[in-house]
Amino acid sequence: MSARPKLAWFVLALIAAGGVAMMAQQGPPLPPAPIERRVRTACLECHDATIVLQQRLDKKTWAKEVDKMVRWGAVVDAKEREAFVEYLSSNFGPDKPAWTPAKKK
Amino acid sequence: MPARIRNEFRPTHSLTRRDFLRSAAATAALVAAAPATFAQSAPTIPGKERLIVNSYRFLDLEMPLEELHSWVTPVELFFVRNHVAEPFAVNMDEWTLSIVGEVERPLKLTMSDLAKLQHANVVNTLECAGNGRSFYEPHVPGIQWRRGAVGTARFTGPRLRDVLMRAGLKPTARHVAFRGLEEPPSAVPQFIRSVPIEKALDPHTLVALQMNGATLGKHHGFPVRVLVPGWVGAASVKWLREISVLDHEFVGNYMKPGYRIPAHPVSPGDEVRPEDTVSLTALNVKSVIAHPAEGATVRGQVRIDGAAWAGENEIVKVELSTDGGQNWQPAQLGSEQAKFAWRLWSLPWRPQRAGEALLMARATDSAGRVQPEAPPWNPAGYLWNGWDKVKVNVG
Repeated sequence: MSARPKLAWFVLALIAAGGVAMMAQQGPPLPPAPIERRVRTACLECHDATIVLQQRLDKKTWAKEVDKMVRWGAVVDAKEREAFVEYLSSNFGPDKPAWTPAKKK
Repeated sequence: MPARIRNEFRPTHSLTRRDFLRSAAATAALVAAAPATFAQSAPTIPGKERLIVNSYRFLDLEMPLEELHSWVTPVELFFVRNHVAEPFAVNMDEWTLSIVGEVERPLKLTMSDLAKLQHANVVNTLECAGNGRSFYEPHVPGIQWRRGAVGTARFTGPRLRDVLMRAGLKPTARHVAFRGLEEPPSAVPQFIRSVPIEKALDPHTLVALQMNGATLGKHHGFPVRVLVPGWVGAASVKWLREISVLDHEFVGNYMKPGYRIPAHPVSPGDEVRPEDTVSLTALNVKSVIAHPAEGATVRGQVRIDGAAWAGENEIVKVELSTDGGQNWQPAQLGSEQAKFAWRLWSLPWRPQRAGEALLMARATDSAGRVQPEAPPWNPAGYLWNGWDKVKVNVG
C-alpha cells in the first residue's frame, strides 16, 4: 500500500473528528442571516452558541455586550458593529419566547 | 454510514479514489447534519449526564431540582460554573501552590506538603451568585440559570489560615487573592478574586483537596480549590495555583465591576456607578421546592419537599403556601445540619380540590431575614431569592 491512501484516510479521519468536535465546540446553530457567518466567527471563537441563544436583551444591552466582548478580544469590524447588534437584538430580544435548554434523554 | 466510518481505521484496507470521494461526501453530510441533530440529542457531559447544560464551552451545568433527594449532593449532580475553559491535565510532579505577597516567607507547597497539614471537614452549600438570574425582569445578560446552580458537599483539606501561617502574615495583610491554573483566551481577564483577611483566617475557610471524600474532579477545581463557606460560589476559586496576600482588595474584572450589586435599589436602565455598588459576600436567605416537580400531576397524600439555606446564618423557618399565597404553614425541617449547609424540609399536603395549584416556599433565617416575594432588580441578575414557585395539577 502506498503512502498516499494512508494519508488520505488520515485526512478523512481528521475531518470527521473535527466535525464532531466542532459540533460540541459550537453548540446549536445560530439563526441564518447575511451577518450570521461573521457573528459565528467573532463570538464562537471563545464560547459556544448556547450562551447567545439564551439571552433576551434589548438593543442597548446587546450593544454593551458586543463592546465588552470586543474589549475582551472578539474581532468585530467597526463597520459591522451595528449589524451585529441588530442581528443579536432582533433574534434574541426581550419579546422572544423564553429559552429552554435541550432535553436530556 | 457507521460501517464506512469503521472501515476508515482498518489498517490493510486499500483506498480507491471513488472510496475517498464517497467517504468524503459521507463525512461532509455528517458534519452538515450535526446542527440539525443537536436539538434532538444534545451532547451530554461525561459524569454529569443528568445535569441541564446552559453552556458547553465553557461548561455551565445545573441540577434539575427534582434530582434533589439528599442533604449532601452527589458529585455527579453538583452544578458546574466555569468562566473559561478548564485547565488541561495538571502535571502533579510540577504543580505547586505559591503563597506570595504580604508574607514573611513566600512559599511553594507541593501536594505532599498540603497532605501533611491537619485537615478539616466543612459541609457547605455552594451557590452561584447568578442562580435564578433568568427570573429577573427585564432579563439581564449572563448564563440564564434557573434554580439548580446550588449544591451541598463535604469539603476536606487544610485550613487556609494554617497555610497562611506557614508563610507568616505581615501586619499589612488585608485581603487574600486566589488565582487558578486556567488560561483565558485572548484578552479575557483571568479569574482572580480576593476575600478580606478576616474571612481568609476563619477556621472554616479551606484549601480544599476533596469533595464528598474523593479527590476533587476537574470540573470542581482539581487539584485544589478554595472553599469560602457561606459566600457566593465565585469566592471559592478553582484549580488553585497562587495565593497572594495583599494590602488592598484585588483590582480586577471579577471584583469590580463583576460580582457587585447596587448599594441602593435601582430601576432597569439606570446607570449605576461602580462606587455605588457593594461586593457580593455571603449568600442570602432562600428556599427551593424540589418535589413535586413543575407541571407534575399529584393526587392523594402529597409530600412537598425541598431545601433552604442562608449563607452564614441558620435557617429557622420554612413556610409553604399551597393556595397562591393566601395561607402559609410551617414545614418540618430535616435533622441533618451544619453551620454553612442547607436544611432539607418537607410538608405533607392533601389537596382539597382538583385543578391547578400554585405551591410557594419562603424561608426565614437566624438574623430575621425573610425570603422576599421578589428581590430588588440588579443589572447583573445576582442573588435571586424570590419565593420559589411550582405549579402542579391536582388530578
